[in-house]
Amino acid sequence: MTPATNPESIPPPVVQVRDMDFCYGTSKALFDINLKVEYHRVTALIGPSGCGKSTLLRCINRMNDRVLSARVTKGEVLVKGKNIHDADVDLTQLRKQVGMVFQKSNPFPKSIYENVAYGLRIHGEKNKSVLDEAVERSLTHAALWEELKDRLNANALALSGGQQQRLCIARAIATVPDVLLMDEPCSALDPISTLKIEELMHQLAHEFTVVIVTHNMQQAVRVSDYTAFLHLGKLVEFAPTEELFTNPREKLTEAYLRGTFS
Amino acid sequence: MNSVPTNDNPFAGDNSGIQQRETAARWALRVGSYIVVLTTVAIMLHIFVKGAPVVFRSQWPFVNTQFLTELPATLHVIEDQQGNHIETDVNGADAVKKKLGDNFRAEKTISYSGGGILGPIVGTALLVVVSVGVALFLGVACAIYLSEYAKHGKFLEMVRLAILNLAGVPSVVFGLFGLGAFVLTAPRFVAMPAERSVFAIPLGFTTLSFEGWDTCVLSGGFTLAFVILPVIITASEQCLQAVPQGFRETSMALGATRWQTIRYSVLPFATPGILTSSILGIARAAGETAPIMFTAALAFKDKLPWQKDLPPLPADASIFAHWEQSVSRFLGIFTESVQALPYHIYTLAAKIPQNEYAERAQYGSVFVFLVLVASLAASSVLLRKRLRAKYRW
Repeated sequence: MTPATNPESIPPPVVQVRDMDFCYGTSKALFDINLKVEYHRVTALIGPSGCGKSTLLRCINRMNDRVLSARVTKGEVLVKGKNIHDADVDLTQLRKQVGMVFQKSNPFPKSIYENVAYGLRIHGEKNKSVLDEAVERSLTHAALWEELKDRLNANALALSGGQQQRLCIARAIATVPDVLLMDEPCSALDPISTLKIEELMHQLAHEFTVVIVTHNMQQAVRVSDYTAFLHLGKLVEFAPTEELFTNPREKLTEAYLRGTFS
Repeated sequence: MNSVPTNDNPFAGDNSGIQQRETAARWALRVGSYIVVLTTVAIMLHIFVKGAPVVFRSQWPFVNTQFLTELPATLHVIEDQQGNHIETDVNGADAVKKKLGDNFRAEKTISYSGGGILGPIVGTALLVVVSVGVALFLGVACAIYLSEYAKHGKFLEMVRLAILNLAGVPSVVFGLFGLGAFVLTAPRFVAMPAERSVFAIPLGFTTLSFEGWDTCVLSGGFTLAFVILPVIITASEQCLQAVPQGFRETSMALGATRWQTIRYSVLPFATPGILTSSILGIARAAGETAPIMFTAALAFKDKLPWQKDLPPLPADASIFAHWEQSVSRFLGIFTESVQALPYHIYTLAAKIPQNEYAERAQYGSVFVFLVLVASLAASSVLLRKRLRAKYRW
């Protein structure tokens, strides 16, 4: 909670959640969450179903605003040092800089090119060469360029499930966000596609900061630098992944990792 | 525990009558369906048998072009002493009588049954264009608001109830509403307000006078628009709801505003359905009689809406040199009253003495009408099929 004492040596966290409570109407979903996400790290949120990990993730780009009567009731969420609930925060700018990939791959039924260019187009980019360049860069980052460069005008729905999800990643990173939120991006994919996306995440961490929700603990081990374990709306433990998995401080974490929930 | 089976067939049904009830139920349902199908076929056959001979010819060009390209006229049937019937129009009647001389026995006139039905076809087309234009704009706007913006709650419930009620209002009520609202009180710009003007706002260069639009295409089109509005709103809303929520979420997550999201990732995928339903709306609008009876339709009109006694535009200049006049003449089409197919059929069937000549005109009109509506419905189905294939998710 203490502000960084030495800002030169330690960069401030890109996402900082402070003492946050979150409610859906009258039912409280998150209790007193504290979380710091470092630049260029992969942070995994794990926990049993319904523990609030997706809700926490969606707090970071305020996607919960779409849900009626859902709101942060206490504490704050800072992205790049700015409280995102401040009145002068423009949601479109926030979401441009905090991208999101959803559980279900949902490319628009448009061409591959238009899917990737969508984010830039809605932010007013009309220059064809800028768009071309962004599409190539994003698809390259998503490890799709080699596969798809010859059929950019094909309908995105013709792609396989894994390709579609990587296309969604390409679409999300086309606006060059600082943070990329991923909500169980592999839960609907086969093992090989999952592997590809996991490999991708290491690459993506060089450019972006990744926060991933997963219910697959092995995946958290494979891809993340830090892991947060949530249970019943509370953040039980947050530590470097290796530490959390090999030497959990909390009994609850240990029980969950062993699969022996009491 | 293994009891020895007493019967060869362990699966024999009992004789409680369940089989009979099953058969009875199936037949009752089947007969009901057959009645529906047979009635439909009977209607179609009846119209075809009676109407096709009027519209089609056995020689080239196989279509009765006169029936499709002429305005309705009074039919004169002249009978000679031998009992031959000669059909002619009002202009030809004297010549025929002169030619027959003493051979002339009797003359019969049948209103509206001569000529063709071009007037009603044109009138219906104009009414449909106006009504669908207005209804699509209002209906889609309303559907988008209800589906994408409005918060769920009391107000939304009330709006939905209102739409549902609108759908249940008898069409003659719409007709009377149109008479009161559009024909008699709708606002228009005039130099000098008429005496019957309800309310006039002077604007300096002109006056906005609530004196109505008179009986015209515009009044009828707007009235029809409100008749088909519930259909279009309901259908459009369903089409919008059918677009996956994921598209909206993704678009929003990329930083799109709400309108951008609607514009680029909801509407394009809902448009096929909206268009399809609006074509069905066209069929409905084309078929309504009561709403246009007081607002747009005339039983008889000897001119098309664009045939007016106006001085011709100067021949030397192109249409662009007089674009103001051209535009105002074009818009003038919509301030004319017209004939319309359903009203024409009503007139032929209920307002004139019935005989073989009137019947011929009736069934000819009905046949053309049915073909028009059926082709609209068919094109709606085709459009849906093609667009469904294009936008599948």
